[in-house]
Amino acid sequence: MDRHLKKLENDSIYIFRQAYRSIDNIAMLWSLGKDSNVMVWLAFKAFFGKIPFPLVHVDTKKKFKEMYEFRDRYEKEWNLNLIKGDCPPVEKIDPSLPPAARSAARKTDGLKKILKQYKFKGVVAGIRRDEQGTRAKERIFSPRDETGKWDIKNQPPEFWDQSNFNYPDGVHIRIHPLLGWTEIDIWKYIKSQKIPVVDLYFSKNGKRYRSLGDKDITSPVNSNAKNIDEIIEELQTTKVSERSGRAMDHEQEDVFEKLRSKGYM
Amino acid sequence: MKKFKDIEEIPKIVIVGHVDHGKSSLIGRLMYELDQVPDGKYEELKKVSEKRGMDFEFAFLLDALQAERDQGITIDTTQIFFKTKKRNYVFIDAPGHKEFIKNMITGAASADIAILIVDVDEGIKAQTKKHAYILKLLGIKKVITLFNKMDKINYDENKYLQVRKQLEEYLTKINIKALNNIPISAKIGDNISTKSKKISWYDGKPLVNVLDNYNCNDNQMENILRFPVQDIYKVSDKRIIVGRIESGKINLGDELLVMPSNEKVKIKSFEEWPKPKKEYNTGDCLGLTLSDEIFVDKGNIISHPNKPPKLMNTFEANLFWLNDKKMDLSKKYQLKINTGEYTVNIRKVNKIIDTESLESTNKKIPNKNDVSEVVIHSSQLIPMDDYNVLTKTARFCLLDENEIVAGGIASLQNYPDQKELNSSSNIKPINFDVTEVDRASRFNHRSGVIWMTGLSGSGKSTIAKEVERKLFSKDFNVFVLDGDNLRMGLNRGLSFSPEDRTENIRRTAEVAKLFTDAGFIVIVSLISPYRSERKKARDIRPEYFREIYVKSSLEECIKRDVKGLYAKAIRSEIKDFTGISAPYEEPLSPDLTVDTEQEEIEESVLKLESFIIEEFSIKK
Repeated sequence: MDRHLKKLENDSIYIFRQAYRSIDNIAMLWSLGKDSNVMVWLAFKAFFGKIPFPLVHVDTKKKFKEMYEFRDRYEKEWNLNLIKGDCPPVEKIDPSLPPAARSAARKTDGLKKILKQYKFKGVVAGIRRDEQGTRAKERIFSPRDETGKWDIKNQPPEFWDQSNFNYPDGVHIRIHPLLGWTEIDIWKYIKSQKIPVVDLYFSKNGKRYRSLGDKDITSPVNSNAKNIDEIIEELQTTKVSERSGRAMDHEQEDVFEKLRSKGYM
Repeated sequence: MKKFKDIEEIPKIVIVGHVDHGKSSLIGRLMYELDQVPDGKYEELKKVSEKRGMDFEFAFLLDALQAERDQGITIDTTQIFFKTKKRNYVFIDAPGHKEFIKNMITGAASADIAILIVDVDEGIKAQTKKHAYILKLLGIKKVITLFNKMDKINYDENKYLQVRKQLEEYLTKINIKALNNIPISAKIGDNISTKSKKISWYDGKPLVNVLDNYNCNDNQMENILRFPVQDIYKVSDKRIIVGRIESGKINLGDELLVMPSNEKVKIKSFEEWPKPKKEYNTGDCLGLTLSDEIFVDKGNIISHPNKPPKLMNTFEANLFWLNDKKMDLSKKYQLKINTGEYTVNIRKVNKIIDTESLESTNKKIPNKNDVSEVVIHSSQLIPMDDYNVLTKTARFCLLDENEIVAGGIASLQNYPDQKELNSSSNIKPINFDVTEVDRASRFNHRSGVIWMTGLSGSGKSTIAKEVERKLFSKDFNVFVLDGDNLRMGLNRGLSFSPEDRTENIRRTAEVAKLFTDAGFIVIVSLISPYRSERKKARDIRPEYFREIYVKSSLEECIKRDVKGLYAKAIRSEIKDFTGISAPYEEPLSPDLTVDTEQEEIEESVLKLESFIIEEFSIKK
C-alpha cells in the first residue's frame, strides 16, 4: 500500500476509534456500495476484526438484485450485526421536490425512523468530499438536530483531530471516516486489500455503474473498464463526474443541497 | 509523465487573505487552466451567471452552493482535489469574511502549504494580517505570497514592490517567512500555470511550478516517541492499548514509559487486524499489549523512558478565541489535548494581541476572534510538550459545555515540570520536633496502614468496625477509613470509572499516610480493585503497609447482597460495578487473607486483630 493510502487508512481508523470512544450508541450505514465496503473493512481494522456496533441498511426496496445478493452473502461471511430498515412510500415525501430527489428522500426518512427506534447518537456514513459540492463542506463529526437538519452555515469548528461530542438530547452526530478519500483512492484501496464489490461497477456492453443507487433513478456511464485496474486508469483521465448517473443530482441546481440540509447522507 | 518517488503524497494547501482578494477565483482559475473542470460545468455556470445578470467569475466554479452565489462570499471550508503534471493537491478554500475565522482554522489547521493572497490594488488589510497571524498560531512557519489583481494596476512593478515590502515587514515580525512573492492575476491568468509576458520584470516561477517544487516535509524532532493512548479494548482475553503514533517510532523490544503514572513497562505484543508488523512509525494507528498489568488510561502518553513529555498543571498558551461568549476566568473549561481531556480554568490573561499593530491591547478579556496569551491551570497533571519542541503534543482546544470555544498552543518554559518537581527539591517537607519514635513510645505501637481489599459485600466494613472497637479498648490509637464514608466527603464527586477509582485510591492512600504520621494504625476498608493502584498505595510507605485480602466468592457476595447493590448492578442500574461490570484483581501475595466464606466473622476479626498486635505493638 502506498504512503498516501496508508495515511488515509490511519486517519479513518483514528476517526472510528474516536467515535466509538466518544459517542454512546453508534451504528454504521452500509449501502452496499464500494465506499461502504471500504468502510466496513476499515472498521474491521479499527476493532480487530469484530465491529462492536450494528450496521444499518436503509432499504428502499428498489436496489439492484446484485446488491441484495451481495448483502445476503457478506452479512453472513463477515458475520455482521445488520439492521435492515425500510422506507416510507414516495407519496409520503415532500411533493415540492423534483421526482428523482423525492424518491431518494425516502432514504432520509427511513434513516430517521431507525435512529429514533434504536436511539442511535451517532451514525457512520461513507460520504466523501470529492463526490459533490455540499459534501465538500462537511465536517468529520457533523451534528444533526432532532429533525435531522444540517445547519451548514453554522458548523462547529474542528481542528487538530479535536471535535465536540457533547450535544443536547435529540441531536445525533454523523461520522464521516471517508471524507478525505477520493474515488480513485477508494478503488486503489479496494485493490490493495482485495475488498469485494458488487460487479455492477465493471463494464458490460460498454457501460458500467460508477455510483450505485435505486435502480429507477440510477443509470450507467459509458465505460470499457472491466476490472479494477482499468477503472483506476479511467478515473485518472475522466472529466465525467462520479454521480453523473444519479438522476437526483441533476434535476435542479441546488437540489442536493436541499436534500442534505434535511438530513440526506 | 515523469515519475516521482513521493508522488502518492497529496499536499494540502490553504489559501488565506482578506475578503474579496481573490482566493476562490484563484482556485477556479487553476482548475480551468489545468483542465480539471468537469465537462459542461464552465458553460453551465456561465449560463447561470448570465441568467442572473452577473459577470462570470472563476470563483463560481467553487461556490457550489446557491447561498454562496447569492451572497458572493465563500461560507465554509471547501476542499477541492486537484492535480498538476507532477502531483495531486487538495485545496482548502478558506473564507475571508470576518465572521468565519473558525472555518478558516478548521481548514488551515491541517495544511501543508499556506498561500497568502493580497489584492495589490487595495493593499494589506486587517484580515490579511489577522489570517497571517493565525497561520503562525497554527504552526505554519512559511508561506507563498501572491499579489493578485496585477491587471488592475497595469502590472506596475513599483506598486507591487511597495505592497510586498509592507507585507514582508509584518511577516518578519511574526516569524513567518515569505518563500515566494508572485505577482499574478487570477482573472486574466497571469503567472498561474504559465509565466506572464506582461510581467517580464518578475524573474521567478509561476505559481504551479512553485507548488510542484515545494518541499512539504518539515520533520520536527520526529525521533521522539509520543504515543497518546486513545482507548483500551478487551479483545478475547487481551487488553489492547490503541492509539496513533504522533511522533517517533516503536519497536517490539522497546521499553516504554507511561505518563502521568511514570511507570516503565515493556511491550508484550503488537496487535493489528489481520496481522501485525514488527515496527510502527509516525502516523500509524496501532494496538499493543503490555508485559505488566500496569494501569494505563485514555489520554496517557507513552514515550521512551529517556525522552518523556513534561507533566504540567500550569502553563502558558497562545489562544485564539472562537466563541460568541467571551472568555470567563471564573469558568471551568474542558481542555482536550491529543486523546486526553482535563478540567481547567484560565487563571490569567497576560495580554490580548492586536494582530494589526502586534501591540498589546487595552482589553482585559478576549472576545470572539481575539488572539491572546494566557495562563492555564488544571488540578490534574497533563502530559504534554512545549510547542517549540513538539507541535503535535502541544496544541489543544478548549470546550465549554457543548462547543469548542478556543484553540491554542502551549508554551512550557515559565512553569515547572511537575515530574521533576516531585523528585527534586523545590518543595521541602518541614520536620517537626515530635517524631514518630516519640509517638510510638507513647502509644506503645508503631503506626501502620491496614489495607483491606475485597469485593463489595465480602465483609470488609464489618470486620474493620469490630477490629477498631477491640483495639481501641486495648488503648490502640486506631481509626477506620471507610470507602463509602470517604465518598461522602473527601471523595465526593468521584465516579466509579477507572480514572476516578484511581483518584479515589490515591486520595485515600495519602490520607492514610497522614494518619500514620500522626501515629495511628489506620484501617482502610476499600474495594480497591486494581493491583497497580494498591501497589501505589503500598509504595508511599511500604514498611507500614499491610495488604489484607478479605476473600469471598462473587456468588457468595451476590447471595449476601447486604446493600442490594448487586441486584441493581445485574439489572444494569449501576454502572462500573466491581465484579459485575468492572474488574476486580485479587491480590497475588497479600500479607493476610481472611476468608469470610469459610470462617465465621468472629474468627476473621480475631485473626486480623492478632495480626495487627503482632505486627505493630512495641513489646516491652
